[in-house]
Formats: sequence, C-alpha cells, structure tokens
Amino acid sequence: MTSELVYTPVSELAPIRDHLNASFKAGKAKSIAFRKEQLLQLAYLFQDNIKPFQDALAKDLGRPVLESNMLDLSGIIGDALYAYKNIDSWVKPDKAPFDINWFPFSPKINKEPKGTVLIISPFNYPLWCMGPIAGAIAAGCAVVTKPSELTPATSQLITDLFPKYLDQDLYRVVNGAVEETTKLLSLKWDHILYTGSGRVGRIIALAAAKHLTPATLELGGKSPVIVDSNSDFDLTAKRLLWGKMINSGQTCTAPDYVIVPDSAQAKLVTALKVQYKKFYGDDPRTSGSFSRICATAHWDRINGLLAETKGNIVVGGEGIRAEKYIAPTIVQNVSFDDSLMTEELFGPILCIIPVPSIEIGLQYIRSHDSPLALYVFSKDSKFRKYGKYISLITSPPNILHNARSVRENTLSGMFFENDVVLQGGSSVTPFGGVGPSGYGAHKGKYSFDMFTHHRSSYSSPSWIDVIMGVRFPPYTDVTLKKVNSLVLPTIPYPRPGESAPFNWKRYVTFAVVFAAVAMNKQRITNFIKP
Amino acid sequence: MSSLEYTSLEEIPKIREHLRASFRAGKALDVVYRKEQLLQLAYLIQDNTERLQDALYQDLGRPKHESNLFDLGVLLGECLYAYKHIERWLKPQSVPFNINWSAFSPRVYKQAKGTVLIITPFNFPLYCLAPITGAIAAGCSVVVKLSELTPSTSSLLAELFPKYLDPDMYRVVNGGIDENMKLLELQWDHSGGKVGKIVATAAAKHLTPVTLELGGKCPAIVDENADFEVAAKRLLWGKMVNAGQTCAAPDYILVVKGAEAKLIEALKKQHSNFYGTNPHTSSSFSRIISHGHWDRLSDVLKKTKGKLPGQIITGGDRVREEKYIAPTIVQNVTAYDSLMQDEIFGPIFPIVSVPSIDTAVKYVNDHDHPLALYVFSKDAKVRGHVRKYTNSGAVVENDVMMHGSMPALPFGGVGPSGYGSHKGQHSFNTFVYQRPLLYSPNWLDLLLSIRFPPYTDATLKKINGVALPTIPYPRPGEKGGISWQWPLLVVSAALIIYKQDAIRRALNV
Repeated sequence: MTSELVYTPVSELAPIRDHLNASFKAGKAKSIAFRKEQLLQLAYLFQDNIKPFQDALAKDLGRPVLESNMLDLSGIIGDALYAYKNIDSWVKPDKAPFDINWFPFSPKINKEPKGTVLIISPFNYPLWCMGPIAGAIAAGCAVVTKPSELTPATSQLITDLFPKYLDQDLYRVVNGAVEETTKLLSLKWDHILYTGSGRVGRIIALAAAKHLTPATLELGGKSPVIVDSNSDFDLTAKRLLWGKMINSGQTCTAPDYVIVPDSAQAKLVTALKVQYKKFYGDDPRTSGSFSRICATAHWDRINGLLAETKGNIVVGGEGIRAEKYIAPTIVQNVSFDDSLMTEELFGPILCIIPVPSIEIGLQYIRSHDSPLALYVFSKDSKFRKYGKYISLITSPPNILHNARSVRENTLSGMFFENDVVLQGGSSVTPFGGVGPSGYGAHKGKYSFDMFTHHRSSYSSPSWIDVIMGVRFPPYTDVTLKKVNSLVLPTIPYPRPGESAPFNWKRYVTFAVVFAAVAMNKQRITNFIKP
Repeated sequence: MSSLEYTSLEEIPKIREHLRASFRAGKALDVVYRKEQLLQLAYLIQDNTERLQDALYQDLGRPKHESNLFDLGVLLGECLYAYKHIERWLKPQSVPFNINWSAFSPRVYKQAKGTVLIITPFNFPLYCLAPITGAIAAGCSVVVKLSELTPSTSSLLAELFPKYLDPDMYRVVNGGIDENMKLLELQWDHSGGKVGKIVATAAAKHLTPVTLELGGKCPAIVDENADFEVAAKRLLWGKMVNAGQTCAAPDYILVVKGAEAKLIEALKKQHSNFYGTNPHTSSSFSRIISHGHWDRLSDVLKKTKGKLPGQIITGGDRVREEKYIAPTIVQNVTAYDSLMQDEIFGPIFPIVSVPSIDTAVKYVNDHDHPLALYVFSKDAKVRGHVRKYTNSGAVVENDVMMHGSMPALPFGGVGPSGYGSHKGQHSFNTFVYQRPLLYSPNWLDLLLSIRFPPYTDATLKKINGVALPTIPYPRPGEKGGISWQWPLLVVSAALIIYKQDAIRRALNV
C-alpha cells in the first residue's frame, strides 16, 4: 500500500454514533438553511480539492484524470448541487390526491428524517458511491460514512477534509476493514445503504434485520448486452468498449457479456478491434487512458477466470501482476458454461456470446439472477421496444412473449437502449437493482426519499362526526345500515365476463333532455342570441 | 370453533414453484387480467359478506358493525380503488426535466417484483390482507399466509380464494409456526409480515426486500384546550374497537395536568353512552383472541399500581372462559407502571398526566417511534408543535385511526414500528420496483464523444466544462459576486426602447 490509512479505533465507533444521534435528536439539522449550507460545503469540499483527489485516485486505481473527473468528482459535486437546488421542493409535504370522501381531513404526507444513518461505499468509485450522502443531508439525517479500505489514499483524503468542511456533530467518516465494519454493523442505525457485493450484502441485511433497520443494497451482477444484427456496429463497439473498460472494468453497471446473433459476431468484433486501436493505440499499458486493478487479490481472481476460458481471445489477454495491470481484453465465441460466465467479471474482459437466435439469449437472461442493468443495441426501435423478432417458445418456465418488449420479458435494475453505463450520471432516474442485484435506489430525489420517512398526517374536524358519527357504539341496525352504505357500496362494475346491465336510466334521461331541447329549440336559440 | 386445515409442509415449496412459473410465464402481464382479478376479489367480499361477518364473529366475537368498517369495507374499498387507478399507476413516469438528460428521454417503469409473500396477523384478517390488491395491480403472484388464531376466517378464505381468484397466481397457505418457518426458508421477491425480526432475518438470507408493519405504543396527547366531548368519544372508540386489538389503537393518553378531570368526566360519559351499564352483554364490544392473550392482559392489569381504589374508573372485570375483558380506563398511571411497558393490545386505557405539552413530547421522544401519534387540541399551533418535534408512522390531529381507511395516505411505521408502507398506491409501490429506461440517440456523441479514450488535454478540458462547472452559488457565509444579469438586461431593454425606430426600419427592409 502506497499511503497509510488510519483506521478508526473500534472503541470509538459506538461513541461516534451516540454523539451523532444526540445531535440529531437535539434538532441540529432541522433547519433547511443549515442543510443547504452543508450541501454547499460538500460541493466545495470536492471542488476545492480536485487536484488532490485526482492524485489520490491515480494512486489507488491508476485512474486517468479524465475518468476521475467524469465518473467520480462530477458525480458527487453534481449530487450535492442537485440536492441544494431542489431541497426546498423535496421537503414540502405532499398533498394526497383529491378524494371526495377524505378531503375534509386535508391529508398530507410529511417528510421526516429517519435519524442516524450509515453509508458504506466500495472501492471502485469512492466518490460517486458517496453521492447519496447528499440525499441524507437534504433529508436531515445524521450520517456516518465508511469509505473503502482498499483505496487508502482517497479514503484518508476524505477523512482529512471532512471536518474542515462539514459539521462534525452530524457528519462523520470512519475507516477500517472487517473488524471495524463488524462493530459498525452491531450498532443500531436508522437506515443502512451498502454498495458492494452480494456476499457482504447478505451480512449487512442480516445485521440490519436484528435492529429492524431498513437497508438499501446496491449490488452488482452480470449485466448483459443484447446486440441486434442490424445495429450500427461502429457506434455500438465504441460505446460498449468504453463502458466496459473505464476504471479497468471495475464498474457495477459495466456490460459483462454481449449476446449477439451468430451472423453478426464477426462484424461486431471487427468494429471492436478498430475502436480498440483508436482508444489505446498499440500499447494500452502506456496509453494513459486505462486504469489498473484495485488489489492483487482481484488481479489473481480475474486472471484465473481468463486462464480457464475456452473462448478465443481477440485482443489483449496479457497482464502484469506487479502493476496490477490487465490489458483490455476481448474474448469471442464464449459459451454460456464458460469460466467467464461463472461470476461477475469486474475486470477489463468483454466476452461475446454468439447465439443462433436472440430468444436463446433472452431465455438465458431470464433464467439467471436479475442483473443491475440491461443494455440493448439496435437500429430498430421495434426490436428494442416491442421485441418484434421474439417468437413464443413454450418451454416453461422460460417462456417469452410474442409482441412483448425485451424490457417486459426481462427483469433488471435499469434498462438502457443504445448506450451503456452513462445512466449513473443521471440525477433524474433511480439507480438501483432488483432481486440479487439489490433493492432500493438512489440518485437525486431517490436518495432523499431513501433517508426520509413519509409520515401521513391529517386533521379531523369536529363536524365530521355528523357523517362519521355512525362509527361509534352502541351499534344498532340503523347505524349498521349507514356504515354499510359508506363502506360496502354495491360494486359499480359488472363481474368479469358479464356485460353491464342495460342502463335504462341513462338512456331515458338522455331521451327526455333531447326531447325537451327539440321542443324548445326556438326558445333556446332566442335565448342564446343577443 | 371450526377447525383450520393446515397446508402440508411438502406442498409449500411446490406452491411457490407453481406461482413462480406462472409469473415467469407472464400470466399477469396483461392489465385486463389484473383488473379482472381485482374485481373478483371485490366480488368475493360482496357475495360472502354474511359468511365473513359470521366467521369474524366466531373468531373475535366481533360486532358486524366493526367487521364492516375495518375489515370488509377496507378490503372492498382497496380493491375498487386499485381497479379504478391501476392504469394511472402503471403508466411509465416521466422524470423532472433536466437539460443534460432530456435527450435520453428517460422514463421510469413500474415493474412487478415477482412472487411475493404476505403474512397477516389475527387482529384484522381482511384489513391486513388488503395489500394484496397492490400486489395484484403490480402484477406479482402472491402467497398469503393467514393467521392460525382466526380459524374460521382463515378456513373460509382458503375455501373462497380458489373460487374467485386464479389459483395459478394467488394462493392461501394456512398453518402455525412450522408452516411459517417453511415459507420463510424459501426465496421470495418481497415479503411482509408482523413477526418483524424473524421475517427480516429470513429475508436477509435471500436478499429479499421486506415491508414490516409492526406495532408499538401509540400515544394520544390531549391538550388542556381540547374539545373533550369529541376527544373522549373518538379516543374511547378507537381504543375499544376490536377489544383494543388494533395496531394503531391509541395505547395510552398523555393529558396535560388540569385537563385530566374534564377528560375523565367525558370518557365516563361516553363509556356509558357506548356500552350502557354492562359492556359484557352489550353487542358493541369484541372479545380477546385467545386465552394466552387474555392471560397476558389479565396479568398486566393485576400488576398495575393504578388498581388502587378509585384509580380504575371503569371496567376491570374479566371472564376467562369467554375471553372477555371489560373496557377499562385507569387513571393516575405513572411512566413506570406495568401498563406503560409493552404495547397493551387490549381494552385497557391508561391515563398519564403530564405537566405540559413539552413533557408529553419529551416522553414520546424518549421512547420508540410509534406507529401513530394522536394529538387533540383546538389550537393549531399546539398540534403543529407536536407534529414538528416528534416522529411516528403517522401523526393525526383530533382523531384516531381514520387513516387506516384512507387509500391516499401511506400506512406504515418508522423505526421499531416497522418500515415500508401500504394502502392504495403505496401498496402498489411496495410490490413494484422502479426501472428506469433511457435511450441514447446516435447524435449524442457529437457532444459526448469526449468521453472516449484516448484521453487528451483537449478532451479533458471539454469534459471539465461539462462535468465540473464552477459552483454557481457562493460559499456559505460569503456574499455572491455582483450579478451582471439584471443591469445588462435593463441596459439592453433601454437601448431597444431608445432605438426602436431604427430597429423597426431595419426589420422592415
């Protein structure tokens, strides 16, 4: 390790939580002006220290400056400013939709902070993954955030800067590895947000269950790409390769494998080769546009998977352990039972799986864990949206639906057409998984909502008992009848399969009105005319 | 008491497999199908109103009146509400306009989570079943585990379910602890229930999201200038409905000193209005669910210090065979009393007097967040103060429990009273996840091609322009620079007015 990360003493963790809890209960973050100030401070923390952060990220992840700016710094600054700009409208109570029965109660949904929350972020995007803290600050929570111990330089820098910018009574950074995290998890929090692996996700969820703490889990999974035979291959290759290789493939939403019809594989691979050359020249290692693997253990894992693959390596494949370098690698003719398909790759390997028909690919996706993201490339919007080429195959349980879209036929946290990874930058859409890729979502208002308790409130006027007085004992036949007319009205829709009874009232009314108008036509015209 | 047939343990995993297969086969993809099922559930209630009322009476000694108001009426209402609104709920949501992202035409789809499990408690078997309407509307397949403590209702529902609803998608499972544990061993896509920690722990193993509707001691704060007639009537009603076995029932009263006598007077009056001289024979009062619960309540009542002569204002008598406990009001209760430890969940109403509203707020804050908080005062400022300085699942002014029937408000707890919520669209939201869809047009790379390698100084500069703009707000405590925006606008406006003739002439040419 290049620089030393000071771990927070285990004995200090509980006192930190208690201190934050006390300041929260004392109402320190109640005022919106205070929250806005802190959000702005958060933005300035990163803006003032762009250079040191770039250096730290380069040290930890060999990360090019451009990627640090675009993927990390811009993420957290953007989140802080977006929250700053929108907090006033977020904290306003929501009015419940108008309902004739209930409007006298003026029902509202108030936004209350959940309390003292814990955010645990991973090594791959240390700053981007800290973004939800903006939502927690906006919600009015006190926050403990634990950055990864695998990025010592960045984590230490955050730890040093936090007290200079943010209120230490409410927002704290703690550092550590397994022992410290275990201790943190034994404490009671009011919400836990964890970003990382499914294995640790289960540990987090179990620890949260013991305290009845709600949790949000941002996990990963193998995010598939479906490339249609009529795609724009140049564009597809460019975007795919970029999304796969940024941060050396260590991106939770990175495209993991590509499903392409047999006939189109060659075209896609050719286009990928062209882009590869454009991106990295002859030697990606010295290109200055390519990151490194975070830890040697991860390097070993990825290299192990690569060594066992039965697919053909088109480009790349070489690695240098001492530098934690693995070249951007493209593998073609991979089959579904290949070593590369056993787990999330989380490294710079793009595997291409040719299939006789897209249905086979869709069936594979449907019968495996639901991924965090699903990407579709095609020029044909019907293919993307309506799955024109998908025919009905009746082999349960993996039945696909004719005339249903790729979207409707699959589950995935997010769905992106003709591009990859970029959705992580959007502050208007939720970022989160489903099933094994996690639950809950963040970004923008979704982060705010995650840390907010939506508290119903209404006020009951005294006169309402003129109508609702029937609820009180003693219960008599008279009150029962009235209650029934309020809560058990006849269902105004016919039973499924039956047609509605002839509505003679409507027709009679219509006929009478029509007749009246016809008879008095002259009078009406006179009346309307000036 | 009719006997309840338990679902066999071997069958439980098979049921889940079957439901999962039908979900994957896309049986509920069609909105028309979902609407049909919602309507069928509504007809299940309407066609069997009397049988359901009888079953609830057998299980809980429940007056029809209460069954209609809290169980049948709510479930029916939720079915019809979902039926009416489902199209609107399913519409992909457009997102707030954002100049950077509008090119991607982002939308958020509501997609079904999968095969879900709903575990309901004994106290309101149909009310607590109501979230199934959200699950049906969402397009999930559902297993419902009903309570074994209400054998008549549970077996009736088990009989009626397959007659009305599609058994490929919606099933009832009955049983006790063994059956529950078996259910929880399986993987679900969402579960909800009342045995909090056990459910949450079981769900954690499968990374299953959960919604927990738990209870807690719901306080009712009564200010000195409350309308005591109204307050007493509503409080007593809310407490004694279903013999106090209501999760959102007011658990205890915090009354400001000085108002105590007036409140007690009003409560006494309402008590005799409601139940006459003998609640035991009144047909307006329910029974306790089981002897176990009766014993627990009896024990709490025996230990209370409030039992000193004159402290129990009304009630106190109990008959074990009939699982009857009279509606009981106890005054001068202290914070250390046996009645103030756990959720009472029975027809016992302790009254604690506090010196001021602030003490009441402090007392509430020193304890677990309750499912609901009730405040009675004529003064809107007092009500607002209580709302602002406390937290609870819901906060209600001048009434109790009505939000249980409002489909527009989320019903759920916070902290120890649970998390997640249901009712109306909130039930629907529980069983869907929000799946964003973005589309990236080809021309976008005219602007965003700077993201691709090779990274050069030129692309870095451009990226910084897009991704790292200068923060447009001054630092906290500092003043913003002079904004030239307004002076410039004024000057240009003046210029235009001054030169308007020249401009007109130029435009005419």
